[in-house]
Amino acid sequence: MLFMAGCTRSDERAAIPNKDRNVLHLFNWNNYISTETIRRFEKSCDCRLSQDYYSDNEEMLAKLAAGASGYDLIVPTSNAMDTLIRQGALKPLDKSLLPNLKNIDPSYLDTPFDPGNKYSVPYAYTISLLGFNQEKIKELGLPTDTWAIIFEPRYLEKIKGRVTVLDSQRELMAAALKYLGYSINDADEKHWKEAADLIVRAKPYWAAFSNTSYIKELATGNLWVAHGYSNDMFQAALDAKKTGRSFTIGYSTPNEGAVLALDSMVLHRSGKSPDLAHQFVNFMLEGKNSADLTNLLGSGNPNTEAMQYVQPEIAANKAIFPSRESLARLEMLRDLDRKQRRLLSRLWTEIKLR
Amino acid sequence: MSKGDLREGRVARLLVGGPPFIFLLIFFVGPSLIMILTSFRFPGEFGGLAPIAAPAASAESEHGFTPEAYQFFFSDLLYGEIFFKSFAMAAATTFICLILAYPLAVLIARSEKRFRNLLVLLVVLPFASNFLIRIYAWMIILGPESALSQFINAILGVFGIGPVTLLFSPFAVLVGMVYVHLPFMVLPLYTNLEKHDPALLNAAQDLGANGWQRFWQITWPLSLPGVFSGSALVFIPVLGMFAVPDILGGTGDILIGNLIKDQFLGTRDWPFGSALSIMLTLAVLSVAALATWLARPATGQQG
Repeated sequence: MLFMAGCTRSDERAAIPNKDRNVLHLFNWNNYISTETIRRFEKSCDCRLSQDYYSDNEEMLAKLAAGASGYDLIVPTSNAMDTLIRQGALKPLDKSLLPNLKNIDPSYLDTPFDPGNKYSVPYAYTISLLGFNQEKIKELGLPTDTWAIIFEPRYLEKIKGRVTVLDSQRELMAAALKYLGYSINDADEKHWKEAADLIVRAKPYWAAFSNTSYIKELATGNLWVAHGYSNDMFQAALDAKKTGRSFTIGYSTPNEGAVLALDSMVLHRSGKSPDLAHQFVNFMLEGKNSADLTNLLGSGNPNTEAMQYVQPEIAANKAIFPSRESLARLEMLRDLDRKQRRLLSRLWTEIKLR
Repeated sequence: MSKGDLREGRVARLLVGGPPFIFLLIFFVGPSLIMILTSFRFPGEFGGLAPIAAPAASAESEHGFTPEAYQFFFSDLLYGEIFFKSFAMAAATTFICLILAYPLAVLIARSEKRFRNLLVLLVVLPFASNFLIRIYAWMIILGPESALSQFINAILGVFGIGPVTLLFSPFAVLVGMVYVHLPFMVLPLYTNLEKHDPALLNAAQDLGANGWQRFWQITWPLSLPGVFSGSALVFIPVLGMFAVPDILGGTGDILIGNLIKDQFLGTRDWPFGSALSIMLTLAVLSVAALATWLARPATGQQG
């Protein structure tokens, strides 16, 4: 047995010559690139793509801060990317190696987080919005285009215990701040208190704070409304459809506005194959490859060339591709300074304890 | 005993005791010292820590050491409240584990010798599958569509009591905690009870003690060391547990473990997280000291 196991392993190694020295190390979100895309890339570059995963930006930053290294590419959200840039953790891009950069919609370029895109190339985006059980919500006559459904007791009492919100200080506060008419980056303590009061008032009606389990719970019918990410809602809707449920999962962006999370590809300083990394970035900027992100994972796509490959019903989905006016009401989170982080954390602890 | 034997004994003791001692020194004392230092630093602007020495020309304006994290801890009753809540949760879990584990341990200890090892094996069998998977399984068992929930609600419905939700509640957290830690209570109790001399109970019976008296005056006092070590093995891990409330808890079930985890991930505030950990360690040590002090006169009488 042992001998045979050893044998197969060496056989495998013999079958893939050179690939061990040609490895691209990607530090990516869970489920943020399809296996088909990976296979296509590995074929085109005669190399191997190795991935490590994180499920939120803080986790990624915490791992890097604790000394994780050797990653060529990371895909952080704008505010985390801002932190990485200011830490000096990133390598500037060589744009001569990225001819496909022209495919990106200019409204996603030159953000305040990375003026001139010295370090980053947009990958995909998600919107934090509301997912819901369409039949149930219609039956109860509840609105789906406003945050009121997760904050106002007059709506919540009809769906008590069937609602979850994101277990993220920034995301939940952003939703509450938007509902109150403030910017998601408003750092005025008085407005924070107002938002916290709103959350505490609504909290008894919520089942839980949830960052991932709402996907499954929506798709099985246990939950009727969830605050979550657009690509997760895409997943939940797909799951409900595939398992032949008697209901459908819908999702929409509240009229008050919401959080737009633009994820970008950046080169980490500790990476050992910058050439391969540029090759990957340019590959992902190709319309067809970028379109996979939308067709298979439900991500919003900043790539104009990709749109011709995107399935028409997804392209028409306003929750994934917002209209111009809706886009104007979306905001990207900015990082807080250390004092604000501590205060927000205390407010969050208070919210959780009440 | 000759001098040579003595030296040999010392060398042997060093060889046997040295490695674990060095292990603890490196992996317990070292990190604890780092944590104490960290708790007195400023958090870095982007997470991590601000430098100790004054930076030449950077955004980091604060540097060096500060008791700020502790001041922040004591500036609000909030944190004391969470400590109290977590201690209450740990105490409740320990108590329930004790109530459930004691009869089981007695049963195993008094069963036939050839079955005992098998029964002990059954107690630790859940460890064969990953802890998180077992907790996720409770999500299904307690979920609103589960057979258990529907059964309970059907019975409650007969009495006209509205449906209850089991999942995402303090009850679910308590169930998860008890479930995970029960074997840690059973094992020390069993090892203790197994050593009891049955002759003592027979003698008591001959002298006219009834079942209750035999338990309360003989078995229970003799089993106290097992009760204490089992309780410590349950109480302390429950205090630091964050996964169970994260998965099974509702909107209000935050414990210290969650708070500390939040400081290192969500908030990126290492000094405050370290300060919280140190306060927790101190609290646990004082509880342990109190327990030893309370237990002392009783064991003194026994001995």
